[in-house]
Formats: sequence, C-alpha cells, structure tokens
Amino acid sequence: MPFDRPRYNVVLLSLSLVGLLVWLALDTVSVAPNRIVPGTSHGLAESLGWGGVLVSALPLLALAALARRPTPKSLRIALGLVVVQLATLPLWLSLAAHRLVDPGAVGARLGIGAGVWLLLFLLLMLLVELRSRLAISRLAGAALLVMPLAVLGWCLTQWLAPLALWQEYLGRRDQFLGAIFEHLALVGVAVGVSLVLGVAAALAMRRWQAAQRIGFGVLNFLQTIPSIALFGLLLAPLAWLSAHVEWLAALGVSGIGWAPALLALVGYSLLPMVRNTFVALEAVDPGVIDAARGMGMSRGQVFRQVRLPLALPVILEGVRITTVQAIGLTAVAALIGAGGLGTFIFQGLGQAAMDLVLLGALPILVLALVADALLGALTDTLRPGGAE
Amino acid sequence: MIDLIHVTKRFGDAVAVDDISLSVARGELCVLVGTSGCGKSTTLRMINRLIEHSEGEIHIDGQQIRDFREEHLRRRMGYAIQSTGLFPHWTVARNIGLVPRLLKWPAAKVRARVEELMALLGLSMAEFANKYPHQLSGGQAQRVGVARALAADPEILLMDEPFGALDPLTRESLQEELRELQSRLQKTIVFVTHDMDEALRLADHLVVMHQGRIKQQGRPLELLREPADDFVESLLGGEDRGLKEAALLPVSQRMLPLGPRLLARERIVQQASLREALSLMLWRHAERLTVVDDDDLPVGELSLRRLVGVRSDD
Amino acid sequence: MTECRRLIVPLCWFSLLLAATLGMGQLEGLFRVIEPGSRQVIYERADFLSLLGRHLSVVGAAAVLAILIGVGAAIAVTRPRGRDFLPLVSQLASMGQTFPPVAVLALAVPVLGFGTLPIIVALLLYGLLPIVRNTLVGILGIDPSVREAARGMGMSSGQILRQVELPLAAPVILAGIRTSVTINIATAAIGATVGASNLGDPIISGIVNGNTAYVIQGALLIGLLALSVDSLFSRLPSPIVR
Repeated sequence: MPFDRPRYNVVLLSLSLVGLLVWLALDTVSVAPNRIVPGTSHGLAESLGWGGVLVSALPLLALAALARRPTPKSLRIALGLVVVQLATLPLWLSLAAHRLVDPGAVGARLGIGAGVWLLLFLLLMLLVELRSRLAISRLAGAALLVMPLAVLGWCLTQWLAPLALWQEYLGRRDQFLGAIFEHLALVGVAVGVSLVLGVAAALAMRRWQAAQRIGFGVLNFLQTIPSIALFGLLLAPLAWLSAHVEWLAALGVSGIGWAPALLALVGYSLLPMVRNTFVALEAVDPGVIDAARGMGMSRGQVFRQVRLPLALPVILEGVRITTVQAIGLTAVAALIGAGGLGTFIFQGLGQAAMDLVLLGALPILVLALVADALLGALTDTLRPGGAE
Repeated sequence: MIDLIHVTKRFGDAVAVDDISLSVARGELCVLVGTSGCGKSTTLRMINRLIEHSEGEIHIDGQQIRDFREEHLRRRMGYAIQSTGLFPHWTVARNIGLVPRLLKWPAAKVRARVEELMALLGLSMAEFANKYPHQLSGGQAQRVGVARALAADPEILLMDEPFGALDPLTRESLQEELRELQSRLQKTIVFVTHDMDEALRLADHLVVMHQGRIKQQGRPLELLREPADDFVESLLGGEDRGLKEAALLPVSQRMLPLGPRLLARERIVQQASLREALSLMLWRHAERLTVVDDDDLPVGELSLRRLVGVRSDD
Repeated sequence: MTECRRLIVPLCWFSLLLAATLGMGQLEGLFRVIEPGSRQVIYERADFLSLLGRHLSVVGAAAVLAILIGVGAAIAVTRPRGRDFLPLVSQLASMGQTFPPVAVLALAVPVLGFGTLPIIVALLLYGLLPIVRNTLVGILGIDPSVREAARGMGMSSGQILRQVELPLAAPVILAGIRTSVTINIATAAIGATVGASNLGDPIISGIVNGNTAYVIQGALLIGLLALSVDSLFSRLPSPIVR
C-alpha cells in the first residue's frame, strides 16, 4: 500500500548513519606541540586504534538497527544508547590523548576535531528527537545530561589535561569566573531595568494611544540599528559627558566600558519587553474582564486579580526573549570594553587562538540555553493549568 | 451512479467504517446521518479518495475509483464542507472559478460560468465578485462554497455538513435553496449531516449510520414509520416522530374536496406541511382549515380528525 | 502610482545612505571637532563605497542561500515524505534562535578559518533559523479546511503548494526573511573582527585605535543601511489574508 507510512523511524536511521559517517571519515583530534604551532590532525583509527574504532561505532550501528522497529521500548533503548554515547565521547578523547600526546612534552595540546564536534551535534539532535517522540519532560531531559557531564568532568581532572580548551581555561581560571560574573551582572541589570521601564511603558501605552504609536515607533527603530553601531554611536556622547560632568566620571561613566553597554542593552531589551507586556495585557479575554466587572470587582481588583495573573506567562515570555537576546548582545559589548565572556572571543580572534574563542563562545551558548530553559520552565509552571 | 460494495476503512487497528454497501442512484440526494464519529464523513471522503478505503470496492458509473488519477476523480465531483475552505487570498470570483481553471477551460468560458453560478446562488456579481472570503457572512460564504463545488458542472456533489455552522434561519433558507437547485439540476448528491431535521428535509435516500455500520437505509418516510431498532428510532426523534413525519407530508395529501359546509376562516396553502397545518390549528384554536392554491383560491379543506386520522395512502 | 508612493520612504533612506557613503569626506570639519587629537579623522583604509558593497554582497549572498535552503527545508518537512523530520526541524529552528549570533560567528572561525567564507557560512546558518521557523509557522498555520478543500477540488500537491500554501504563508515567510536579514546586517559588521572587510571595519579599527570619528562613521553607515533595508521590507506588498 503506497499510503502506509514506513514502519521504521527515518529520522533515527538517517541521524545515526550520518553520525557514523562523520565519526569514521572526519578528523577526531589534532595534536600540537604548543599553543602557537598549528596542530596535526589525526583520523579515528590513528586516535583510537582499530579496536577503539569498532567499539565506538557499535552504538551507532545499534541505533540504526533500532530505527527499523520504533516501538516505545526500542526508542527508550535508543535514548539510553545516545546518552551512553555522549558519555563515552570524553573517554574516547582521553584514549586519543593517551595514544597521541607524549606525556613528557610539556605544553602539548590536544584539539577536538570536526568529527567529534559533528557527532556531538548529531547526538544532541538525536536526544531532541527521542525526547519529543517519547514525550519526556524538560526536567527529565535535562537530567539525561547529568551522566555525560559527570564523565566529562572526571575525564578532565584525570586524563584530559592536554585538552587545549581545558588548558586555556586553566590559564585564565580567575578571569573566566570574573567574566561570567560580569556577563551575568550586565544581563541581569539590563533585563531588570528594562522590565521595570518596560512594564511602566506598556501601562502608559494602554492609557494613551499616542504614546503607543510613538513608543513602538521609537523602539522598533532602535531594534533595527545593529548593536555594534549603537555601541559606537553611544561612544561619543558618553565620552563627552564624562569629560564635562564630574560626578558621572566619578561613577565610572565613559565612552567605553559598562556605561554605553548597559544603555544599549536596555534600549534593545525594551522592545521585546514592552511588546510582550502590552500584548499580554491587551490579549486577556474581554469576556473574562467583563465578567469580573459584572461581579462587582473594582478596576484595581480586576487588574491585580484577573488581568495581571492571566497576562503573567506572556510577560515572562518577554523576559525570556529579552534575557536570551541580552546574553548575546553582551558578548558584542566586550568590543567596547564592557568585559564579560565576549572578551575571550575577541581576544582569541585577535591572537588567532581558536581555543580561547571557544572558551568564550561555548559558555555564552550554554548560558543562553540554560536561561531559555529555566525561564521557559518558569513560564510553564505559572500558566494556569500547567504547560500547554 | 455511486456504488459502495462491502467497503471497510481501518485506521491502524480502529475500524472507522465497517463493511458498508450503498448505492446512490443518478439524480438522487442521499443523506448520511448519524452521531459524530459514526463514520459518515469518512464514507463521504472515501468517495473522492481524500481517504483511501481499506477493503471493498467503490464504483462511479460502474468504474472503480482507483482506476482514476486522484486529482481527475476529484475534479469530476463537487465538494463542499462545513468550514467552506474558501481560499482567503482569492476573491469570490476566483474561488468559484477554481475547478474550471484546473480543467483548463478558456478564460472567457470560466468568467461566463462564474457569472452564471453567482446568479444561480443569488450572489450579485457587482457586489460580491471582488470581495474576499473574510468579508462575507457565514451564509454568503457557504453559497460561494456551493457555487465553487458546482463550478465545473460535476455530475456528483459531495457535501460534508455544509450548513452545520450557520444560524437556524440561514440554514433553513439554504436547505430550501438546495432542494430547489436539486430539482432543477438533478445532480447526484451525497450529503453528510448530524441534524436529523435537515436529513429528513433534504433526503430522497436516507442512510442512518452508527459505529461505522449502516443501521438502516431507505426513503425518509419508510424509516420514520418502520425504524429498524431502538437506536434508529431515538435518532429519528422518539416521541417527536409524529411531528417529523407530518413535516414531510404536504397538506394536499390529506385534504378533502370542498364540501357543502361553509369555508373555514383559517387558510393554508396546499404545499404547506401537515405540521404547519397542525401548528396553525393549535394556534388559532381551529378544527378546520381551508386549503388554498397559489392564487389563494380554495381547493379543499382539512379537518383535525382528517389530519391525525386515516392515512392518505391506505 | 501607489506602487511608487509606497517606495518613497525606503528610497529616502537609501539616498541618505548613499549620500553619507559618498560624502563622508566632506564632513571632515565636523569630525575634526569630535576627534581633535587625531591626525586623520576620515577612515581611509578603504573607501566607504566598497565597504558598503562588500557588506551588502556578504549579507545578500547569505540571505539568498538562506532563503533557498530555509524555505526549501521547511517545505520538505511539511510534505508527507519529510513529515518525520518535522518535529526535529521545528525544535532545532526554535532552539537555534537562542544561540547568540556572535557565538555562531565565533564558532565558525575555528572550523572555517578567517575571512569572508566563514562569515557567509555563519550568516547563512544563523539566517536559516528565522526563515525555517516562519515558513513552518506560515504553512502549518493555514486553516486545515482550506487545504482539505483544495485537495477535494482536485488540485495536485504541487498546485496546492504554489497556489495556496506559499501565497498564504508569504507574509509570515517575509517577516522571517526580514528578521534574518536585519540580524545578519548586524552580525556581518561584527565579522570585521574575523577579517572580513566591511562597514564594521571603521568601527573596530576606531575602537582599537581610540579614534571616535572612525567609530561614528562606521556606525552611521551601518545604522543607515539597516534602516534602509528594513523600511524596504516593511513596504513590500503583502497579500490579503484572513
């Protein structure tokens, strides 16, 4: 029958086969004698030996086989295999380090090859796919990552000392923590300030039509201007202000640094915040408001007890969007000396030290994903009747 | 014209339609009626292959529907649904001209046909041709939907609860128009509804479905008089059945020729239903009605005893 | 007539952009005031017109590829054959948008090296997400009864796609393309730090050399470019829906 869907899970099948392909065909690791010299790349067989090749390919083959009969049970086994595979990646890297890096060579570095990155990416995609097929909750999905992360942590302390990324971290441990703190502080203050201003602006817009038109016009305009340009354009006026107004200079305001960064961040954060708050308050079912009035609730009661609680999930959605956006924009702010994790990215790009770039970029990515997941979960719990 | 022979449809393990056989004659208006989930819509959609049947055979004009290409089969049949499915980005005229254009009619012929159909369905060309569906009322949109279904002059019309979402008044007038259209165009129509009044009003051939099976089929009066079982009886309205039957019979069937007595004061036209006659009697406290023709000339009389008593056909 | 009137605002922005690009040198006096300490106050490592040209061509190339691939992929996963990939693709498209563009750009460099290519690839990858997402939203958001009626009338799946699904989804798809291009104009400027020469160049070199005048010149042009392109998008004709 041409109308019967194929029994096998095409997604699982193709992802695991592509995973097998990149794992076998692309470079696994690269080894460099020191930070400056570009490394030499090594394929899978060189890195793990033929035994390692076989053992490491087995779970992927098993996944492809499981895809042929996607019963809930076999999908659960597949999920287990994916988690195991994720957890074994650091072990394979350790094995490669053991085989390829001369323990006597001080400063020798192990770089992660394209094969590992791509397999990691494909495994995470498999995780997403299986998670949605098996309808696993956000929390349980996050719990699945605990084991692989624990293995990674263990390997880093035991065997993965030569890993280039780890070396960059060890060399800047204090700076790194400071950068994360700066990054989060900038994001936190920007989101906090824009939340207060945004809610106030949304309330004002609900009252005055003109404010609505002008407000959205200005905010849309701001949002369109590229961040780097806005940072740049704020540079001159702030520099002038700090040169001419003493107490501002005493506060640390200047053309570069945190002041223009914060101003620009708040500017960008306002649009999603105001838009969501405004839409949230407007979108409450007029029938509900009508009923509340009809029962004799006062205006204030209607707002506090009905409109606001119903609008809260959508307002929080605005906070989520704003936070994720601010985490990314703060990275750009490093260009004008605002600090944060972006500093590593631009330092690394300047020195052509790719592992330093990763040391900045990866945590930013993780921060964005974690913020997104946490605020998303919070929104779900606040929605009356739970997640939709 | 349309023959379903031992047709079954399974979705996975669930049986949606269970071994039904049904023949719809040319020019007949066949209504499938039943509660939601009884398989009536599935049956309809198997006829134009929106759903493929699992077992049995479906024939159109003696030819298996699987012998046609799906699109070609569907272009031969009109299709109208409850939510109209009008294309929101097309004007009314363009929507109606859809199937003729699919059939590659020349533009002038399409235009002429669209005009003809809009006139047929009482939609003024000047007012509606360039409107978009969201600018129409529910009844107007449904008229456009029916016009679109009729556009290529198909022999067969499939209608899936087309009037289900309309208010009672609009629904009744559209039912009236459909009957009227049908008497002129003589299409073969399969009509799905869950509204028994609508089914009784429209059907030449009534099919009661339940849990994927046909419980009973026949002429509406046959079903009313001899329901096969309790389910059909309750679906037909139980204690309301008398009134339902009365609604199907015209006054002319029960009236007596004018007698020697004085004409009764209350009058009723001969095409009106017995139900309307009864209602008038109740309302006016009258035991007798004078039956008149279209020109208001008396042609007979109807008494309460006659109305509720002896059947005209025995 | 109305077509022309619709394009007046974008045309104003574009002529302002062009005037600023060509006439930046005339404003030397002004920049002297802002930056009295520097010997040179007009960025001269490359002329502004070629910087603008390169900026536009990088963003344009990435946008064209992203539209082709993004719309294509979204169409593919909404067909019966590709339907299995739909949940994965739509989750990836929404998760991917939480990735900061800078991080994507930074991650492209280790893999692809410095220069224009990694920027185009990074812009392409990042630009794909809003396009895929919006195309999916647009196509899946179509009233199912419209598609049902189209099938019931005997339209082939190709006809349904071309005459019904794409026109109905077009406004949403266009909004996705607009988001994608707006973000990419900004991200491309940051690409100046990874060796692409475009309108981000004056900003970066201004920051590095402490020359505010350079920064303002670059920022002004990028801002104008973004506003021009955005106003063009906001005036594109949108078919009547709903």
